[in-house]
Amino acid sequence: MNRRKFVGLVGVAGGAGYLSMRASKTEDKGPDPGPPGKSPVAVLKAASYDEDLVAKIREGAALCGLDVRGKRVLLKPNLVEFDSATAINTDVAVIAAALAAFRSLGAADVRIGEGPGHRRDTLGLAEEARYLHGIPDFERLFTDLNRDDVRPVDNFAGERFYFPETVLGADVVVSLAKMKTHHWAGATLSMKNLFGLVPGAVYGWPKNKLHYIGIPRAVAELNRTFRNTFALVDGIVGMEGNGPIQGRPKHAGVLVMGQDLAAVDSTCCRIMGIDPAKVEYLRLASRVGHVRESGIEQRGERPAAVRTNFELIHQFRNLRLV
Amino acid sequence: MAESLRQRLDFLLRTQNDDGGWGYFPGKRSWLEPTAYAMLALDKRANAAVLDRAWHLVESWQLADGSWRPGADVAGPGTWVTALGVHLCCARGCFDQRFTRGVAWLMGTQGRECNWFARFIGAIQPGGPDNDVSHRGWPWLRGTTSWVEPTAQAIIALRIAEPHCPSVPGVADRVADAEEQILSRRCRDGGWNYGSRRALGIDLPSYPETTALALLGLQARSDAVREEIAHARKLLAETHSRLARAWLAVALQAHSEQSPAPEGEPSADILLAALEAIAHPEGTRSAFRVPGRSA
Repeated sequence: MNRRKFVGLVGVAGGAGYLSMRASKTEDKGPDPGPPGKSPVAVLKAASYDEDLVAKIREGAALCGLDVRGKRVLLKPNLVEFDSATAINTDVAVIAAALAAFRSLGAADVRIGEGPGHRRDTLGLAEEARYLHGIPDFERLFTDLNRDDVRPVDNFAGERFYFPETVLGADVVVSLAKMKTHHWAGATLSMKNLFGLVPGAVYGWPKNKLHYIGIPRAVAELNRTFRNTFALVDGIVGMEGNGPIQGRPKHAGVLVMGQDLAAVDSTCCRIMGIDPAKVEYLRLASRVGHVRESGIEQRGERPAAVRTNFELIHQFRNLRLV
Repeated sequence: MAESLRQRLDFLLRTQNDDGGWGYFPGKRSWLEPTAYAMLALDKRANAAVLDRAWHLVESWQLADGSWRPGADVAGPGTWVTALGVHLCCARGCFDQRFTRGVAWLMGTQGRECNWFARFIGAIQPGGPDNDVSHRGWPWLRGTTSWVEPTAQAIIALRIAEPHCPSVPGVADRVADAEEQILSRRCRDGGWNYGSRRALGIDLPSYPETTALALLGLQARSDAVREEIAHARKLLAETHSRLARAWLAVALQAHSEQSPAPEGEPSADILLAALEAIAHPEGTRSAFRVPGRSA
């Protein structure tokens, strides 16, 4: 063994030991009990995008007690990159149905906004993902959150952060997420989807500042900062394996909804065969939302009844729900 | 003047804000990025008063540390747009203290990943690091990692600035090192994405718009990127993105390649309209050309 290899092995062993200690320490702690009361989460079966999704979303909103009458609603889909071979983005059918559903529920205004983390040409990306042609009047309704005017918000991860006017002016932000695994965070659902609220014009492409805050902490901070939210997770076809971009499509056949994003994401994890107590950002979010099953009032389908294990990359095999 | 160019320049003149800047979209608050591209798109002689108003605004956005803030609504800190501030100083022929402080800020800024610890981790990582961390590029904002676009913009600004700042040491060496970083981050398909060629050992694809920006940053290395220029020509023919087409046209022209004029009505996107005007064969394509190109 030469000196370089020896130094390398010592480094790897030390790093592995540290990560192992850190993981066992945080897992032992587990999620907080959460706020008083229970959070309703609706799980509705939808076998394909051809079903009556407007009716499903109306049913889910009713099951969760959501009232959007007279409110300004912002739909925030998950638009990342486009690859016709897989399922990266929130499906256009879900966005179009959400637009129709929230209008029919009496919202004063329903708009769509997104700030992709990698691509500068948001509208071009929306065209590739068929949003431009699949959603009536899309260009008029759409705001590129990366290049919107901004206002400061104090005490985001201990500092002043800037967020888009369109987001801060909405009464309800609907996180229209995709049910996916994530190669850094374990899973990306309605809370991680809020990364797209951070403006690229200030923080860049990618929004690397969030990575230095720490992905779990940044996800939890977004969830703590934006409390006027509703989650609608597109799990009809999600993504497993090396998500959020290079994984494989995975049919789960569900829509998951609720006003407590931590509870919705924890439910999604259980459906995906992931233990939410082992997902760090959910543990952090358990201070303001429910992660434990005992704090979630499941409506519609039981998560165990629709569970379909999403393949996990090697680094996240320990997240598997027993 | 060609009609497609005239339409875009008229659009820019109509959408200038009262404060002298431009927003990303008409009626929105001013930001430095669309203001810079609008200024670079407009002819200096024909639009002197318009450009003077814009320049006064840009001057007022420079912070005490020499950096520029990105827009009217953002108090600070300064960001990657400092490269555009320095670029505009050069375009205006303004080589005073503002210029020197802007260059100094760029020279004092580098990606956070470029340190001994990251190099150590890279050295011990099985299979080698996903990205080479031995070169110094530029981040979107200080305290974060360097990426392709801010690095390319800083290279362009410093290459244009270098003849005017002989008292600042090390500019040529720093730029050459940053060019090496861009070359090291080329994706396997021959282009560039935001700056990560691999993640967890798996190759990532390039994007047309960032490929264009990388090639703009590598104008002085034309001979080293012949295959990538050919790839950019292919991307230009294939992409549906107007933004990517505009950047690719500017980049190919900077490498002495022909590129077509933008077509259609101007977009409501001010940055895009400005870039399409710059990219037009009758436009101000030299705005992004650097001295000492190898082509």
